[in-house]
Amino acid sequence: MSFNLAIRNVKKSYRDYAIYFLTITFGVCIFYVFNSIESQQSMMALSENEAIALKQLNRIMGGVSVFISVIFGFLILYANRFLLKRRKKELGIYMTLGMERRDISKILTMETILVGILSLFTGLILGILLSQGLAVVTAKLFMAKLTTFSFIFSFSALMKATIYFGIAFGLVTVFNACTIGRHKLIDLIYAEHKNEKFKSPHLVLSVCLFILSVACLVIAYWMILKYGFSRSDRFWISISLGCVGTFLFFFSLSGFFLKLISQSKRIYLKNLNMFVLRQINSKINTTYVSLTLVCLMLFVTICAFSSGIGTANAITQELDDKLPYDASYSIEIRDQKSSEHTQDFDIHLIAGFEEQGVNFERFAKQYVEVKYYDPKVTFHLMYEGEDFDYMPWAIRLSDYNALMDMQGKPALTLDDDEVIINSNLAVIEEMEESLKSEIAHHSEILINDRTYQTDLQSLQQNQLRMTGFSLITLIVPDTAIDGMLITSNDLNINYIAETELYEEIAMAAFINADFTKVIEDTGEDGFSISYETKIKAFEGSRISSALVAYLSIYIGIVFLIIAAAVLAITQLSEASDNAHRYGLLRKIGTDQKMIHKALFTQIFVYFGVPLFLAIVHSVIGIFVANDLVKELGRLDMGKDSIITAVIIFVVYGSYFIATYLGSKNIVNRKMI
Amino acid sequence: MDGILQAQHIIKYYGNKNNITKALRGISFDVNAGEYVGIMGASGSGKTTLLNCISTIDTVTSGRIFIGGKDITTLKQNELSKFRRDELGFIFQDFNLLDTLTAYENIALALTIQKINPTEIDCKVKEVAEILGVTDVLSKYPTQISGGEKQRVASARAIITNPSLVLADEPTGALDSKSARILLVNFQKLVSEINATILMVTHDAYAASYCNRILFIKDGEIFNELFKGDNTRKEFFNRIIEVVSLLGGDDHDVI
Repeated sequence: MSFNLAIRNVKKSYRDYAIYFLTITFGVCIFYVFNSIESQQSMMALSENEAIALKQLNRIMGGVSVFISVIFGFLILYANRFLLKRRKKELGIYMTLGMERRDISKILTMETILVGILSLFTGLILGILLSQGLAVVTAKLFMAKLTTFSFIFSFSALMKATIYFGIAFGLVTVFNACTIGRHKLIDLIYAEHKNEKFKSPHLVLSVCLFILSVACLVIAYWMILKYGFSRSDRFWISISLGCVGTFLFFFSLSGFFLKLISQSKRIYLKNLNMFVLRQINSKINTTYVSLTLVCLMLFVTICAFSSGIGTANAITQELDDKLPYDASYSIEIRDQKSSEHTQDFDIHLIAGFEEQGVNFERFAKQYVEVKYYDPKVTFHLMYEGEDFDYMPWAIRLSDYNALMDMQGKPALTLDDDEVIINSNLAVIEEMEESLKSEIAHHSEILINDRTYQTDLQSLQQNQLRMTGFSLITLIVPDTAIDGMLITSNDLNINYIAETELYEEIAMAAFINADFTKVIEDTGEDGFSISYETKIKAFEGSRISSALVAYLSIYIGIVFLIIAAAVLAITQLSEASDNAHRYGLLRKIGTDQKMIHKALFTQIFVYFGVPLFLAIVHSVIGIFVANDLVKELGRLDMGKDSIITAVIIFVVYGSYFIATYLGSKNIVNRKMI
Repeated sequence: MDGILQAQHIIKYYGNKNNITKALRGISFDVNAGEYVGIMGASGSGKTTLLNCISTIDTVTSGRIFIGGKDITTLKQNELSKFRRDELGFIFQDFNLLDTLTAYENIALALTIQKINPTEIDCKVKEVAEILGVTDVLSKYPTQISGGEKQRVASARAIITNPSLVLADEPTGALDSKSARILLVNFQKLVSEINATILMVTHDAYAASYCNRILFIKDGEIFNELFKGDNTRKEFFNRIIEVVSLLGGDDHDVI
């Protein structure tokens, strides 16, 4: 009997369940899609490294999914609470008819399971379909070819989704049972009336709080713009102020506007303005917490989308400039203090490799060995508002020109007393500026007791190294090097052709050649050997950009759905609470158009205001994040902002429309 | 006198072919401007159905209703709400004030939905509030005032638009006797002072005794009609009681 009742209840209240159902379906779908990444590799040709990376990516997604599923769990509980609230009277009637609490719990459990199974099933099917499409995106991110089309199905993702969402539904069941057990019959039957407790608003208080909230937000913005991420204490103060400000903003907003607009009778008494304002204000006591959460979630979404996708793009885009050679091998002296050792330290990489049987001709078109030295020069630079000293390296003009030759760039000439500075600081504006002013003020550089000239016009901006950072390099006449200590010995190679084949030969050669022993023989310690190849670096960056992109899309979409769902649920439950008010408007002759307009305005405000504040937050946030991302590479915010806007517009917009139509339905249904 | 309302042979059936409830079986009557007409009848006699039909909230099965010369049974949905807005005033048993609005705003609401120029609203609200004696509670919310005051605020909302006809559905039903008396006196005042036309449904003989004329309804038909004429209210009340006892059934409600 109770099973039939449960089915009938679900059928009957499908309108109420619609948003609940949709949200869980979306949730399951997204959850499945992002957990099934690993199984996509059957569809594409991946290198061994990439396959491992994909596995890694899957593991990280799995970790994040735990967090996501907890959030979804809360959403399901929240949605369920609203559904239950609307049905208290119905449950009360069951009880007056003599049904036991146990039986009622049973009905509710069955309803939950029914909706749960239905949405889980739909969500999984959608997820499985969508994951086929995502494979194409993954392939693109990894720049891998799609080999064969094969149907992708991840059993582990399926199990995970089932188990995680199963737990959430289990919690809902327990929660429902508790609710039924706790409430008195009289509370259930008169639940409708209980909801309508009305508190008269304290408008003056609202105005004060609103001003306070704006002050909080302004201070928070100012702090984060001034200090960015550099000062963690200030950063957290700014974040906390932002949260408090957002909270107060929603707490006081409607009261503030009510007070403000009611000052002008002309606007206040026009059409249904008064009604709508009062309507929004009356519910603010129950909604400001959810509005705050919605706003913060939208903020996360916007930031995740725009900077996430942007970062992912920046990582790949800028890589080309940072990888001037096909392969590079370097021995770097890390411990500059053991100078007495380095004094005589000299090593010949090419000769050394050849001695160990490496035949460069087999894979290299060009191979150049260059050395970097410590000229004992100090630049005073600025970074994040603080001074710091930077000690550049020096390179012989002839070595530099050899590198430029490899990169296909023109050679330089130097006078005997001239030095040219090469800088890779462009990404960090502040340092670049401080370097320029340093050069402008001190055009003379003292190296080995000899004065050299330099100027701003000659400043070069080339990438010299691939295995490590050298932000500033002095290009000095060959003779100036005498007596300087070696800091690094680099071997740069361009392959005969940029293919996996030569890469493999080169890698094998590098790995077999054991330079550690050679160096140890010279009695040197505190050095590091590193090698990097263009192909490997691209692979690595594709992996990290895929990771960043997926993480941000995953978290962004989940937060967006949750934010929209919370709003939709709140609004729908409000619409049914308010139906009698709209019914009264209709009775006294308000025409349909005006009522719909009022309803639209009300819902629009609820959806629009959190989005508006979230956008303001995000503009500031992205502005700050931009500085950070810029160090990785240039960021094309324009395109990403459009993509972000489109995604938000579609998802948020459809929830908005669904909510409006649903509310209109409820209001019209109960009108007469 | 002008005829404000003409009801011509109104029939209202509910249900389907197999199960018909005949709520109204052909009711005809006229109401003139400035009249205060009561409709009495036992529960289930069809008086609320009649009021719903007149107020355009429900439609008739057959028959015609003219209000201010306009046949409301032929109006379309959009015209209906416009008609309700401009020609009718409503007073409900449970007040139906919006709890989110102050008394002032509740009264003003009736004007704002007519898209009246906001500058005119203020003095109109105060004027009407003065007549009904609710000036003191204008800035309060419905939850902060008494039932009697609520009903008078609702009455103010009903008449502020100068409707052709005010429809009151058991307006004293939720009031204590003192508040009810004040309200009824106020209704009389509206009729005499601003020439309002009121049609009031009630099953309370005391409330009905304030009217000029009573229509008695039984089983969907007009059973009797009483005019107050030159009677005092007491005499009129006694005559009403006589009819009510004839009607039967409902006399336990009589005070």
